Amino acid sequence: MTDPRVDRLAGLVVGYSLELGEGDVLRIDGLDVAAPLALAVYRSALAAGARPYANLTLDGLLELLLEHGSEEQLEFISSTQWKEIETIDALVTIWSEANTRSLSRVEPTRHSRYIAAHRKLANTRWERISKGEMAWCGTLHPTPAHAQDADMSLEEYEDFVFAACHVDEEGAADHWRKVSRSLSARARSLETVRELRVVGPDTDLRLGVGGRTWLAADGRFNLPDGEVFTSPVETETEGDIRFGFPGIFQGREVDDVRLRFEGGQVVAAEAARGEDYLRSLLDMDGGSRVVGELAFGLNYEIDRFTRNILFDEKIGGTIHTALGAGFPQTGGTNSSGLHWDLICDLREEGEVYADGELIWKAGAFLAEPALEAV
Amino acid sequence: MDDRVARLADVIVGYSTSVGEGDVVLIESSPVGAPLVRAVYRRVLEAGGHPEPRLAVDGFAEALLAHGSEEQLAWLNPARREDFERADIRIVLEAETNTRALSGVDPARIQTVGRTREPLRELTFRRAAAGELRWTITAFPTNAGAQEADMSLAGYEDFVYGAGRLDADDPVAEWQRFGAELRTVAEWLGTKRELRVVADGTDLTLGTEGRTWIPSEGKENFPDGEIFTGPVETSLEGEIHFSFPSTFHGRIVEDVRLRFRQGEVVEATAARGGQFLQSMIAMDDGARRAGEFAFGMNDAITEFTKNTLFDEKIGGTVHLALGRSYPETGGVNESALHWDLVCDLRGGSEVYADGELVYRDGHFLPDIR
Repeated sequence: MTDPRVDRLAGLVVGYSLELGEGDVLRIDGLDVAAPLALAVYRSALAAGARPYANLTLDGLLELLLEHGSEEQLEFISSTQWKEIETIDALVTIWSEANTRSLSRVEPTRHSRYIAAHRKLANTRWERISKGEMAWCGTLHPTPAHAQDADMSLEEYEDFVFAACHVDEEGAADHWRKVSRSLSARARSLETVRELRVVGPDTDLRLGVGGRTWLAADGRFNLPDGEVFTSPVETETEGDIRFGFPGIFQGREVDDVRLRFEGGQVVAAEAARGEDYLRSLLDMDGGSRVVGELAFGLNYEIDRFTRNILFDEKIGGTIHTALGAGFPQTGGTNSSGLHWDLICDLREEGEVYADGELIWKAGAFLAEPALEAV
Repeated sequence: MDDRVARLADVIVGYSTSVGEGDVVLIESSPVGAPLVRAVYRRVLEAGGHPEPRLAVDGFAEALLAHGSEEQLAWLNPARREDFERADIRIVLEAETNTRALSGVDPARIQTVGRTREPLRELTFRRAAAGELRWTITAFPTNAGAQEADMSLAGYEDFVYGAGRLDADDPVAEWQRFGAELRTVAEWLGTKRELRVVADGTDLTLGTEGRTWIPSEGKENFPDGEIFTGPVETSLEGEIHFSFPSTFHGRIVEDVRLRFRQGEVVEATAARGGQFLQSMIAMDDGARRAGEFAFGMNDAITEFTKNTLFDEKIGGTVHLALGRSYPETGGVNESALHWDLVCDLRGGSEVYADGELVYRDGHFLPDIR
């Protein structure tokens, strides 16, 4: 029997996140382990009168390509892939893996070559999403691999995922509409701030945010969701930050990252484990030492680190900064092949000051922002 | 892993489709075919091609057929059409989890989807005939296939790989030798104008003048071993009894008897699935005509397993397909249907070519081979 929460998540993706309508062409991307959710999304899209199709692949194939492919094969993108990304009305990406470490032994330069070749495709997709020409939502179907990364049984992990998406009960769309109003109000109030100062264990960091747009991540582009984010002013990050949670990039972990910023650039970096990898990421390109994103994680259903950025960056009571690419739609101008989210746990002793005024303490904003008229 | 999986992948990529540098290769299968998909994917990479997996996952077709509107059933994904327009090679790796998944679906809806997908079939045949596309269909042994064949999985694996001669030291050499034998018979059949097939419940004559007999030597089907043509569309006269049951779109039809007059089915009965049979032959104008007639010649396939890929090649059988013909045979029948029905000639049977006895009890007479 299908878990009713899978159907609810599918309904939420189709009805709330993508707002699919009659005749909309929807592509559903994922591995075969995502099939239960992919199928539920497919059914839900059919019921909405859309034109869904599945684009499912097998685990292990990318690994074969990265291991055995020639340069030409690594870089090959078919005309159909281009046409699809240029014409489909909606896309669901189900990030479920059968093995989250299947690429950990792949030669990094070959993987980078593959990513670099596919970046244009990703950029086109992102341009159409930003212009509102294409709806997109990234989500996850719980698998044993992700449960393993989270140190949970599959059943516990399912409970965690579905609670984070708020589909453990009926009325998920109403919940996310409410979240959307509250996050939007928070975003508007943060737009009046010129400088944020984050204070915590081994952390005292100032970030300029004057003139930048804050966006509410309210379940349209990700499920689960629940953050407000911007791209800080590229030259105005100063001070120190220590990230309590491991930083994970392409399946590799770096523990206890500490960074020092001057004039917006990382000038010192340390890690308890994976420091070489940290340095190689910082040296990736001209933009990889600059903060491209600053965000508050506000989903309090997500209360623990599970080694999956889709969830970790939204842990209620944390902030995260991403090194690398910024978001043009927030006013960000930093460009990089890197976008690496690093999460700073502020739940115990963190404080955040906005232009000198304390606005956040022990994992929560002190005051509710004024809700806008709906 | 069963090393016969890797050998099958070698034969499919190296012999059946001859994948070369830069070839775009669609690999169509399902997740239960994963071991074979991965093996083929790797071989395609090694041959310098671009493997593009296209996986059908259980439940999607069923959901569309159960819940889709007419408009949704009639929608052909332009991305799939483009696949079929640009691919150099299609490799279809049948891998079923449930051969009866569509049993409960209204046949009219299956036909709608069949019509929707017709341009894909048309593209495959047209581009293949023009030499622009190579394709092959093979089967990965699964429990569902084994169950359909009344076998254990291990027994079915032996059957499938045995039919493909994958136990031989050099399977490709085996297929080349067998192919030469099939070509000889095909060339000889090409000199004949009319065939008459006589067996229990069967006395059918068909014209083949001007048509090409094609030896199937492991290229478009694997395993293989048949010689087929498109009979002259208006020529079929008489009756034929298909002693083997036929599964089509997950439906089983048993004991089919057809009577032809001037090439058209004028009477069709079945002991089981008669209504389905009627709805299939009423699909369109071409569904009442034979698009293919063939001799099954693979003597490593002796058992009926309810999978056409194997059944139509059983050594000592003939089969007739209602519906679309293959243009490369000279056949011109058009239809959304192509339904192979297999007639066992291994018991008492005779085939006459232009009045001369040429085949008896499942074998061509020695002097013609």
